Amino acid sequence: MSGTVRRSAGGSGVVRGSVKERARIALKDDFLRGAVRYTTEKLRGGRKAAALEQGRWEEWRERGRSIRLHTIAHLDYYLKQFADNARAGGAHVHFAASGADAVRITMDIARSAGARTVVKSKSMLSEEVHINEALEAAGIESVETDLGEYIIQLAGEAPSHIIIPAIHKNRAQIAELLSKEAGAQLPPDTKALAGFARRRLREKFLSADIGMTGCNFAVAETGSIVVFENEGNARMVSTVPRIHIALMGMERIVPTWEDLEVMATLLPRSATGQKLTVYMSGITGPRREGDGDGPEEMHVIIVDNGRSLQLGDPEFQDLLHCIRCGACLNACPVYRHIGGHAYGSTYSGPIGAVLTPALNRNVAEWDDIANASSLCGACWEACPVKIPLHDMLVYLRRKKVERGRKNTWEAAAMKGFRVVMSNRKRLEAALALARIGQIPLVRDGAIRAKIGPLKGWTAYRHAPSLAARPFRASWEELRRGLAQTAAPKKAEALQKLERFARSRQPEGRDSH
Amino acid sequence: MTTSDREQWLERLYRQSLQDEAAFLQNIARRLGRAEPLADPPRHPFRGAPDFWREHSLSAEDNIALFMANWTGAGGHAIRLPDLRAAGQYVADLARERGARSLVCQNEPELLLWRLDEALPDHDVLVWAADRPGRLEAAAKADIGVVMAEYAAAHTGSIVVTSSPDKGRSVSLLPDVLVAVVPVERLHTKMGDFLGRFAEMARERMPAGIHFISGPSRSADIENDLTIGVHGPGVVHALLVG
Amino acid sequence: MKVSLFITCLCDAVYPRVGEAMAKVLARCGVEAEFPAVQTCCGQPAFNSGYWPEAAASAETLLEAFHDSDFVVAPSGSCCGMIHHYYPKLFENDPEKRERAERLAEKTYEFTQFLVNVLDIEDLGAVFPHKVTYHPSCHGSRLLGVREEPMKLLSGVRGLELVPLPHAEDCCGFGGTFAVKMSDISGAMVMEKTDHVLETEAEVLTGLDMGCLMNISGHLRYRGGPVRVMHLAELLEDGMAAAERPTMAGSERLGGDRL
Repeated sequence: MSGTVRRSAGGSGVVRGSVKERARIALKDDFLRGAVRYTTEKLRGGRKAAALEQGRWEEWRERGRSIRLHTIAHLDYYLKQFADNARAGGAHVHFAASGADAVRITMDIARSAGARTVVKSKSMLSEEVHINEALEAAGIESVETDLGEYIIQLAGEAPSHIIIPAIHKNRAQIAELLSKEAGAQLPPDTKALAGFARRRLREKFLSADIGMTGCNFAVAETGSIVVFENEGNARMVSTVPRIHIALMGMERIVPTWEDLEVMATLLPRSATGQKLTVYMSGITGPRREGDGDGPEEMHVIIVDNGRSLQLGDPEFQDLLHCIRCGACLNACPVYRHIGGHAYGSTYSGPIGAVLTPALNRNVAEWDDIANASSLCGACWEACPVKIPLHDMLVYLRRKKVERGRKNTWEAAAMKGFRVVMSNRKRLEAALALARIGQIPLVRDGAIRAKIGPLKGWTAYRHAPSLAARPFRASWEELRRGLAQTAAPKKAEALQKLERFARSRQPEGRDSH
Repeated sequence: MTTSDREQWLERLYRQSLQDEAAFLQNIARRLGRAEPLADPPRHPFRGAPDFWREHSLSAEDNIALFMANWTGAGGHAIRLPDLRAAGQYVADLARERGARSLVCQNEPELLLWRLDEALPDHDVLVWAADRPGRLEAAAKADIGVVMAEYAAAHTGSIVVTSSPDKGRSVSLLPDVLVAVVPVERLHTKMGDFLGRFAEMARERMPAGIHFISGPSRSADIENDLTIGVHGPGVVHALLVG
Repeated sequence: MKVSLFITCLCDAVYPRVGEAMAKVLARCGVEAEFPAVQTCCGQPAFNSGYWPEAAASAETLLEAFHDSDFVVAPSGSCCGMIHHYYPKLFENDPEKRERAERLAEKTYEFTQFLVNVLDIEDLGAVFPHKVTYHPSCHGSRLLGVREEPMKLLSGVRGLELVPLPHAEDCCGFGGTFAVKMSDISGAMVMEKTDHVLETEAEVLTGLDMGCLMNISGHLRYRGGPVRVMHLAELLEDGMAAAERPTMAGSERLGGDRL
């Protein structure tokens, strides 16, 4: 499918072409639209029900926000505490300033261990830094073990949703992919397909040299990484192979185990509506002396890759509060119509629309991602930690304009806007002109012509014509009638207004 | 690479990581408006769950009912049993019903008391031993894994097991069936009631793995169709004892 | 007490009837509002596209127009949201204008907020015996928190049958320039919204924002749907006028909408 994002998408992770073009392709794919709609409906319904069931959800959100705010504001302290405690627990802790550093460190570990196979559980960060490409280039087999990730790895595609990566694939397509891998025809039946994946991946778990996980949260208090999952593959890859590598975004810190309870309450409910994922594992270092299983060696790679760029920026620092639950994707009407691949990079949906430009230093790659939003605010409403993504999208648009990357037509129109709207007389003159100018276009009170800037509108809608007389022209006449209409209840209304105005300014400040 | 080569290499990596760490933290501190990384613990006034939640507590019976409802709702089997002896009987019956050939248990006194090897003479009953060769493969081949839950939380329907020389992580992960014995005195209303314990553990006693399990392994990755038992156990029994 | 009308550029130029209806409803409640003609536009089209100096130039006309008003009332959750949520940010580098912007925000109300929360009126005595469905615009409900007020007013209208709109909280796809810049996506969204409207089999679609209503009714016309689209102010004014006239049951003529 030409709209699909392939995995080897280049260093920055952003695909060529525009969101608009990819969206157009996605909008024509009925299966994709049906699948995305079904999935997001289910998940957002799940979130709402789970929030209701938990009760006092707004207080939980506020607490989640407070903890994230505090953590990010003191990230230097907590990262150090985490690293010290993790090392004391026997883990090797590495710091990767860039995605390339994370890859380099991983490759060093893999090569020095003579690794031939790596088994991976789901990690958006590993997609962000393109670890699989590097491993494969070095001749090391890297196997995704999360069922959805396994499927899209076989297809050579990028995930289209943070939580359910393969929603754009139907059963038949999946059966085809797995049959090829199996060397035998598998029926398009979920149980059979999942059963094959379980058997095949079991072999890989038991023979792999390295297991790689992401990290949902890292508890600074004890140097523990915490992984949330439903399948059991993250437990597998962090228990069976000799070496465990955990890739951790530097913002994933949580100060204490107590704070983890808040995250454990917000994350699963916001992501899928579950009270808790089937498995939540706190891993502190490699196996202890005397343990019979668990990795002998554990590495935690803490990654920056553009995250620190947001620190100190009051408009974008809150981006680092994100706990990658995907609730914004499920709430977003744009995502629901175009799916994840149309966004063209590792992270999609509202969080992706802000994160991708924010993490990437290269302004040219911003594309029109920030424009793929009607600013409805559903993302902010759904976010368990109240990130104002809808505001950030506007800030991104402003930054783009400030850096001179404006669309020439739009810039000209905005110049015109300024001239006309800064002075009522100019507005009145412009309206008068436009009323004349629209005459050839208006039929039965509407404009249907698909020309010029109107085309985007009239492709799907009739446009209204300008009124024969604007409100301001008929105001005088209206005003005279209003005095009479208001007379009967005027005194009563005045009393109410005065009382309200007084209550508005308790210190008796002058209302003017 | 030989072992000592590798150790030397890891040592080099460690020293490099200290340098990287310093630069990393310096960068963060600077961007947050500090000349140096913060050394003193900051005041953390909104720590943990909101007060109303800390105070939230159910009676023992309500905890049991809620745990069982949640565990069952997630697709697990939950049963209330009077004592450990009854639990042992349950496991033996389960093994026979399922036609299980082999079981693997944590090396826990409560489980050893059952003498399952006697109750199931035609079955392989393995007790986890950290130094037994082929223990992972044995656990993988086992039909049933049996563990003692160390904690349980009613609110999320979760049991908690931790790793140690006597308690392999594989036991609760690799077999197709998991049986978790939950003494009711270890059941709390919510995880917040015991999470603080993990922080209190001295470094030496901190287990490498702390595992919350809240039902059978599952995935909805194929067309949103729920499938049970993807990588972890697909059948899970919680025995609430006491 | 000076109550000023903030008509909004859209109602001024395209839907003056909405402004008139609002002014009349207020008058019937005893409020004689005035219209300071200095106002042009809240600046949102430029602001949302990232052109902040241009937005500020327009916004300043509002700061000037309403500087001595006690109450400012607008038939738009979106434009009020702009003032409340974004004006302080827009003027953050200019302390004097920022202060004026904050004052303006304190005294600006969306139409239903003003009726219900300031004038304490829920029952206008209106009569409107039709099947109606309501679309809560995003900025009004999410930024301003206007959710209960329109419901209270609608429930006080005699004869009105309110049918819930499925997935009412979903955006209609207007988003200002988004509708033109990302027209395919916007088109998909308005199609979905319109499907839901038609599902209700309502005779009338109402709401608080002409941006949204213009968008949905434009698509309805394009598809040839029979649903009448009216701003809540128009509906209430029609209903209050009808209550005054001697009527024959069931013969109320619906206020026409051109689009």
